[in-house]
Amino acid sequence: MQIRVGVYICKCGTNISENIDIDELIQFSSRLENVAYVKDQPLLCSEDGKNFLASDVAQEKPERVVIVACTPKEHEKTFRNTLLRADFNPYLFQMVNVREQVAWVTADKAAATEKAKAYIRAAVKRVTLHEPLEKKEIECNTDVLVIGAGPAGMEAALLLAKAGRKVYLVEKNSFVGGRVARYEEVFPKMECASCMLEPKMDEILHDENIELITSSEVVEVLGYLGNFSVKIKKRATCVDKEKCIGCGACYEPCPVSVRNEFDYHLSDRKAIHVPYTGALPNVPVLDQGHCLRFAKTDSAMVQEALDLGLITQEESENYKKQDCTACQEACMFDAITYDRQDEILERNIGCIIVAIGFELFDPSVLPQFGYGKIPEVYTGLEFERILSQTGPTGGKLFMKNGQEPRSLAIIHCVGSRDKKHKEYCSGVCCLYALKFARLAEKHAPGAKIYDIYADWCVPGKDNQEFLDSLKEKKNVYFIHTNLPLSVAVKQNKDSLSVSCVDVSGKENPLAADMVVLCPAIIPARDTSRLSEMLLITSGRDGFFAEGHTKLAPVSTNIEGVFIAGCCQGPKDIQGSVAQGAAAAGQVLSALVPGRKLELDVIIAEADENSCAGCMTCIGLCPYKAIMFDKEKKIAVVNTVLCKGCGTCVAACPSGCLTGKHFTEEQIFAEIEEVLK
Amino acid sequence: MGKPKVAFYWCASCGGCEEAVVDLAEDILKVVEAVEIVFWPVAMDFKVKDVESLGDGEIAVSFINGAIRTGEQEHMAKLLRKKSGLVVAFGACAHIGGIPGLANFVNREKIFDWVYLNAPSNDNPGKIIPQEKTQVEVGELTLPKFYDTVYTLDQVIDVDYYLPGCAPPPDLIMKAVEAILSGNLPEKGTVLAPDKALCDTCKRKTTKPEHASIKEIRRVHEVMLDPDRCFLDQGIICLGPATRDGCGERCINANMPCRGCFGSTSRVEDQGAKFLSALASIIDMNDEEEIKRIMDSIVDPAGVFYFYSLPASMLRRRLDI
Repeated sequence: MQIRVGVYICKCGTNISENIDIDELIQFSSRLENVAYVKDQPLLCSEDGKNFLASDVAQEKPERVVIVACTPKEHEKTFRNTLLRADFNPYLFQMVNVREQVAWVTADKAAATEKAKAYIRAAVKRVTLHEPLEKKEIECNTDVLVIGAGPAGMEAALLLAKAGRKVYLVEKNSFVGGRVARYEEVFPKMECASCMLEPKMDEILHDENIELITSSEVVEVLGYLGNFSVKIKKRATCVDKEKCIGCGACYEPCPVSVRNEFDYHLSDRKAIHVPYTGALPNVPVLDQGHCLRFAKTDSAMVQEALDLGLITQEESENYKKQDCTACQEACMFDAITYDRQDEILERNIGCIIVAIGFELFDPSVLPQFGYGKIPEVYTGLEFERILSQTGPTGGKLFMKNGQEPRSLAIIHCVGSRDKKHKEYCSGVCCLYALKFARLAEKHAPGAKIYDIYADWCVPGKDNQEFLDSLKEKKNVYFIHTNLPLSVAVKQNKDSLSVSCVDVSGKENPLAADMVVLCPAIIPARDTSRLSEMLLITSGRDGFFAEGHTKLAPVSTNIEGVFIAGCCQGPKDIQGSVAQGAAAAGQVLSALVPGRKLELDVIIAEADENSCAGCMTCIGLCPYKAIMFDKEKKIAVVNTVLCKGCGTCVAACPSGCLTGKHFTEEQIFAEIEEVLK
Repeated sequence: MGKPKVAFYWCASCGGCEEAVVDLAEDILKVVEAVEIVFWPVAMDFKVKDVESLGDGEIAVSFINGAIRTGEQEHMAKLLRKKSGLVVAFGACAHIGGIPGLANFVNREKIFDWVYLNAPSNDNPGKIIPQEKTQVEVGELTLPKFYDTVYTLDQVIDVDYYLPGCAPPPDLIMKAVEAILSGNLPEKGTVLAPDKALCDTCKRKTTKPEHASIKEIRRVHEVMLDPDRCFLDQGIICLGPATRDGCGERCINANMPCRGCFGSTSRVEDQGAKFLSALASIIDMNDEEEIKRIMDSIVDPAGVFYFYSLPASMLRRRLDI
C-alpha cells in the first residue's frame, strides 16, 4: 500500500546547495517508493520557510514528511512545531541531516550527493514505519523538599519560598546554617560568618512558605517528578518550640554534662542544650541519649558515653538513671514535656533538592600527622571552633592547657591529591588555611605560623590578593613541599616537632605548639543512604553525580531530584549558594503551578503480554523508570520517568520492550537502506 | 477423499527429531490413523521416485528436519516443497540451523581437513577426501556437493510453519498435527510454540533477584550447581531469557542451563546478539579491566551465544577464512 510521503529539501542558504546537487536530489527522491512529491526551499527554518511548510503540508496532505536539512538537534523541534500548526502529527516526520553530516564534511560534490541520496532513501523508508505519537500530560504537585539547611539548602529554600512555593526544609541538626554556623570568619574578606548568615537564617525561620523541620531525617521517598511522597522521621526533642522563648533557664539545672559534638568534643554541654549560643531556631533540644530519664539502664548508658569518649570514668559516677525533672521545673513556660515520641511526618512534593553538605577525611588514617594521638593536632573544623566566639575558648586562641600558642603549623592536602586516599583537590583548603594564618596572627600576635603546602589553589576574584597579603607577613612562613606530603608530627616534651621535606629536598625541623590539618573534603555520611533512597547515582569519590559536569551541574539521573553544595563535590560557600540558587531555578522551571507536566512521548513501552519476567531490564534504567510488578511478574515502564534512552530496549532478551519512534523495524529499515 | 498425505524427511540432523516423532508413543497411532504417510526414509521403505511421482501439492504436509548443507538436501527440500501444500521446518536445525550450523565458523575445506586428514583418530594414509565425482571400474560414482555454509530450511525453500526444539517436544508436535488436521492454523511463518521467553515458565524464576548481577562467569563443570537457583544468578550462562518457551524446561529440570534450541521470540532479530546484550547488562562491574576479564572468561563466546542459531542470525557465518 502506498503511503504518501512528502519530501522537503532545504538549501540552507548555500550551506547545503553549494556542496550537494539539489536538482539531482529532487530527481532521485521523486523516484523513491511512496514519495508523492519533492519540494525545495532556500531556508526552511526562516519565517517564510516555516510558513511555506505549514501551508504546503496543510494543502498537500501528506501522510509522512521527510525534511532534508540540518541536524535534528538544531531544528527537529522547530519543524515538529511547524507541522503541528498544519495539524500534522509531528512524529510522522523524519529529518535528514545533510548539512553537518554531508555538506560540511564531504568535500567532493558528487560523493556528497550520493551520500545524501543514501540518507534520504533511509529516511523515506523509515518514515513509512513511523507511528503517530500523542503527548500526554499529568497533574503535578509543585511543593518542594529541601534536604539540608546549610548555605545551599537555605538559599534554595528561600528562593523557592519567595516564588510562592511551599518548601519543606529538613535538617538533621537542631539548628540551621550547616557547617558555616561553626565558622568565625570567612575568606577572603574575613567577613563575620554569623553576621553574614543570620539574616538568612531569620528569613528561613519566619517565611510562611517554609516549614522548617529540624532534628529530622528523610526516611522514605516514593514516586517521581511532580508526584513524590516522603516520610520524615522527626526526633523527639521534648521541647515545645511554640512555648519556648529560648531563655536558657533549663540548661543550668541539668545535672548531665557531656562533650559537645557541635564543638567536636572540645567543650561540654548539658543533656538539654542548644549546640552554641546563637543557634537558630533558639530552641533547646533534650538529648534523650544522655538525659537521665531516658537512660535504658544505668550501666548501658554510662558505658555508651564512656565508649564514645563523651565522659570520663570519674564523671560516669554522676550518671544514675533517675526521674530527674530539673529542666521542667526550671522552665517558666511549660515548654518541656517528657512523653514525646519520635514522629513520622508525611509530605507530598514535586521536587527534591539534596544539599546535605560534607565531612572531613579522618586524618587518623595517616598516623604521621599524629591526629587523635597528639592532643594539640586539630582538624580545620575543630580549629574553626577554637577561633569562634561561641566556641570552647570563647574565641581565644588557646591550647588545651589554656595557654596561647607561640607557634602554629598549618598542613595542607591531608588525604587530598593522594592516589592512596582522595585523588581530588578539595579546592577550599588553601584558602581556609590562609584564613587560619590570618586569624592566628590576629589572635596570637607574634606567634610563628608555618604554612606547609604542596601547591596553591586560589582561583577567584580576590583570592590571589589574599594569598599575596599573607606572603608579606614576617611571621608567616610558607614551606613548599612535594606531594604526597612527607610530614611527620611528633610530641616532644614541651611542644610538637613537625618535620617536613621541602621541594628542594631539604628537611625542615620545626617546633610548633599547635598543628592544624586541612583534611580532604569527603561526602557526608548520609550520602550513600540518600543515594540509595533517592536512586541517584554517586561518582567515583562518593559525591552525588551531577547530570552533566559542565551543563547540568545540579541535576541528577533522577528527574525532579537536584543536588546543591558540597554533596555534589567540594566547593566554597559562594559555590554552594550558587548551586542552591541554580537548583531552585531548576525546580521553578521543572514544575509550574497550574501547568501540567508534559511527558516525553519517545519512551520505552513494555508489552505485558510478552514479558516473561526475566528481570534483565530491572536495575538497568538510569532513571529508575522500570519496576518489576511482583503480582503480574512482569516489567512495567513508568511513563513519567522514562526518558527513552533505550538501554532497557537493547537489553530485553525477548524483545518485549520497544523504544517508541526507535523500533527495531524502523532502525533496521534505515540501516538497510543506507547500506543498499 | 483419502486421508491427507504426510511426508517426513531429514537433512543435516542427528536423528533426534525422528526419535521425537517416535516419542509420541501411543499418540503416533492417532497420527497414523488420521494420515497417510507417503515418505519417511528413516522408518519406511519409500524411494525418491515415489515422491517424484506425486502431483504438485499432493502431500498435505511435509515435516522436514535438519539444516541444509549438501546439494542432495537442497534438492530433496525443493522437491518436497513442490509436492507439498504445507512445509513445516521440524526441529532446531531446520528452524535456525542448529548444532550443524556451528560449522559456519569454518568452511568445507577446514571441515574436510579435520575430519578426513587431521583428526587424531584418522587412518587415511592415502589422504583421500570425498569427491563429488569418482571414476571407478563400473562407472562414475557421485556424492552430493558439500556446501561451505549451513543453511536453515527457510533460506532454501519457502517454509509455512516452524516446530522449534532440539528435538521438538511431543506436546508441541501433537498440537501442530492437530492444528494442521483441523485446518485451524495460525498466520503463515508462525513458530508453533509460545511467544514468550523461557523464564516465563521456569520454576527457578522465583529465585532470580530483581537486580541480577554477575561478578564471575562459570561453566557447568566448574561448580556444584544449585538445582533450584536461577543459573544466571549462579554465574552460569543460561540462554533462557533470550529463548522461546515451550520446551517444558527439559534441560533446566536436568540441572543444565538453556542453550537456546527454541530460538528467539518473534520479536527478536538475532538471538545471540540479544543474549549478549542482556548478559552485558547484568555484569555487575564498573571497572573496565574487570569487565573485560569477566567477558574474556567466556570460553568460545560465539559458540555459546549462537549454539543453535548461527545460520539464522545476522552473522550467518564467519567470513575471514
